[in-house]
Formats: sequence, C-alpha cells, structure tokens
Amino acid sequence: MTHIKYYAFPQTVNEALALLLNKKYKAMAVAGGTLVAKTLPDTVETYLDLKNLPIKGIKISGGNLIIGAGASFDEIDHSKLCRSWAGGVVSSAAAKCSSQLIRNMATIGGNVARPHSFNIFPVVLLGLDARVKVVSKAGAKTVDFAGLYAPGFGLKPGMECIITEIIIPAKTKKWRCEFIKLAKTESSWESYITLFFAAQKEGKTITQARVAVGALSPKPFRASAAEKAFLSGGAHNAATAFAMELDSARAGEYRSVAAANLLKRFIKGLV
Amino acid sequence: MKKNNILEVKNGVFEITLTINGEKLVLSTKNGESLLDALRRWGLKGVKKGCDTGDCGSCTVIVNGTPVLGCLVPAVAAHDGDIITIEGLGTVQKPHPIQKAFVEAGAVQCGFCIPGMILSSKHLLDRMPNPSEAEIRKALDGNLCRCTGYVKQIEAVKMAAKRLR
Repeated sequence: MTHIKYYAFPQTVNEALALLLNKKYKAMAVAGGTLVAKTLPDTVETYLDLKNLPIKGIKISGGNLIIGAGASFDEIDHSKLCRSWAGGVVSSAAAKCSSQLIRNMATIGGNVARPHSFNIFPVVLLGLDARVKVVSKAGAKTVDFAGLYAPGFGLKPGMECIITEIIIPAKTKKWRCEFIKLAKTESSWESYITLFFAAQKEGKTITQARVAVGALSPKPFRASAAEKAFLSGGAHNAATAFAMELDSARAGEYRSVAAANLLKRFIKGLV
Repeated sequence: MKKNNILEVKNGVFEITLTINGEKLVLSTKNGESLLDALRRWGLKGVKKGCDTGDCGSCTVIVNGTPVLGCLVPAVAAHDGDIITIEGLGTVQKPHPIQKAFVEAGAVQCGFCIPGMILSSKHLLDRMPNPSEAEIRKALDGNLCRCTGYVKQIEAVKMAAKRLR
C-alpha cells in the first residue's frame, strides 16, 4: 500500500460516505483489514478505516436479529443474542473462522463485502434469508443478501457504498440449522467445503428448507432443486438433486458426494 | 471531516501519535509499513516476525485491549491507539504471573512464539479468569508453536489463571 496518500478515520457513516464519494480521494473502505489490508488495488489512494464507526452493535429490533457490519467474528461468537438465534448457528459459524487472532480483527461486514467462496458468512446469511442495509449516494436502503452479489445491484461495497447492518429475519429464530466447514485444519481459512442447511418443522411436516453452498463454487448460491426435494420429504431425493446441482457448479466429484451425504445426514437428523 | 481524523503522507511518511506500553509517543511510520515492522524498528524486538501473512501469531500485540496480528495492521492504523507489547507486561526482574507460569511449566523451548502466546493468554485471562481447557485452546489457536505439542503452554495458562484469581 505504498501508493496511499491519505489514511482516514471517519467517526460517522456520513463522514465515511462523503470521503468515499469524493473523487479527489480515490478511497476504499477497509473494516478488519484481514482480507484486503495487504492487497489494496493500485488505484486506491485513501485508506478509509471504518473501525471508529458506530456500526458494531448487535441487537433485536422488530423481532429481527440486527448485527452491525463492524461487529467482529469474536463479538459475534460471544454474543448472547447470536448464541440464542437459530440454535446458535451464527455464533458457531463465526467461531469456525480461521484463528482467534483473525476473529478478533475480521468483521462480518468485511466478510460479506468480498464474496470469496471461502468466507464464512455469505453461505450462512444466504441460508437465513438475511437482508443487508447499505448506505450510498442515494441514501440508505435494505436489500436481500443475495442481491448484494447480483449484477443488477450496481454498487461495489467499500468503493461506492458502505454496508452498515446485517438483518436476520425473525422467522428464522427457531429454525434448525447446521453450518459445516471441512478444511485441512480447524483454523485453516481455505475450506474444501462450507455448507449451510436449515429447516423449519411443524408437526411432521418440513415447512421451510434452505440449502446454501459456499466453498464449492466461485460464488455462494442456494441449491433450489435440493430445497424443493427437501420440502417434498425425501432425504435421498434431496441428496440426489443436490449432487446434480453441485456437478453443474463443477464442485468436483468427491466434494459433491460428500456434500450430498452431509445434507442427507442433516435431513435424517430432523426426524 | 475533522482535520485530525485524516492523516496525509508527507515525503513517504505518516506522523502518528500513539501510546506504547503506557508511554505516549509521536512517531513516524513509512507508507506501507506494518505495525510489526514499525514496532521492531522502534526497538520493540519482542514482537516477532514469523510468517508475515497472518498465519503464525508471532507478531501478536494488544491494540486497544484486543490482541491483533501486527503483520496485518498498517502502522498508521494504530494512530491514537493504545498498544501493549510483551515488553510492557513484565521485566526479567519482575515477570508478569503469566510469564512466570510459562517458565515454571516448561512451556518455553526456542521461545519465538512465546510473546504472542503470552499476550493472547493475557487477553483470555482478563476476560475469562477461569477458562476451561477448550477455551484456552481456542484462545491460542492462532499462535503456532513449532517446538512443542501445545501441552505445557496449556498447563502454564491454567497455572497463571489459578495465581491471578
């Protein structure tokens, strides 16, 4: 980052945004810095450090779980609210990120702003129907998490807008969920497989099913055919549909087989 | 934005104000310099340079109460910060109870990883005075040791916890 001319510590979101949008500064926002601190593009001349922004809180509002984009993985791991949500899957996923020292620094906002397939939160938030609050030139708006990565979104997080909140909807509070990370070691950042499964069961009927895929494809996605088969009841059919979707995503044979078996195990565990 | 919230590089250098081990200082840091490299250049050689990629934890320092990887933090980011390095914890004559426990438990072999491990342990014991073995292992999972099998260090943290309670 020897091309940096300014290092800014904005205290408010408006200050940060003003600097980001001022063409003089050629700024890029950085949160925890664990993914991008050493790899800022040459075109960036201002390092916009978001650590002082008041966007770190974790709260319940309108029944939804709201996680400030500046909350670190460690704060999410230890948050009582996160631990009480959806069987604690948000906290346990945070705890599986790399090492304690990285968890102290990395933030959920930074993790979702760069949709790297190894990142922990994109797959979890896709599966929990999360929404994201972003602030840009046009003001604040809330978008579906999946929309953040869609070509139609039109804003680059950290370059043209700032993510301020992650909103996990109230309906997911009691969902049965599982986040799976298979990697060389527990603290490896690179994973062979990251998956998120969720279900809501009413009586003997599955009323909601989510199957989200992380480190098996370049971008996280929801496996809609597997979800459909999951809802119609059969673990075997869901696993078969899932394996076919993973094949289409070129996940690799052994990883597709493993992921399909993990889904089968999750569904059977619901009984 | 207030003037003091934005630093400008001059002749390839940022001038920053920070507190290191209780001493308030005004220092210069080269553009692009990591906190690890800057601290070592300023004479704090207890901060070790291992992998320089955020994997080994040898460069652990406590910034504003939280252990971080000095190699991943730009030194300029520490502006207005409060930093504790291993030199700020104890001395040879009067070691910190965690340092003492590491020596007495035989947790130190080559010693390269120990400053980072002790600072991670301090943060753990500050917020969790009676940690379980699993909690100790989790807190130290970013501090790699290539000499030992992570047994004596765990014993040392347990010993220090007992003495600090």
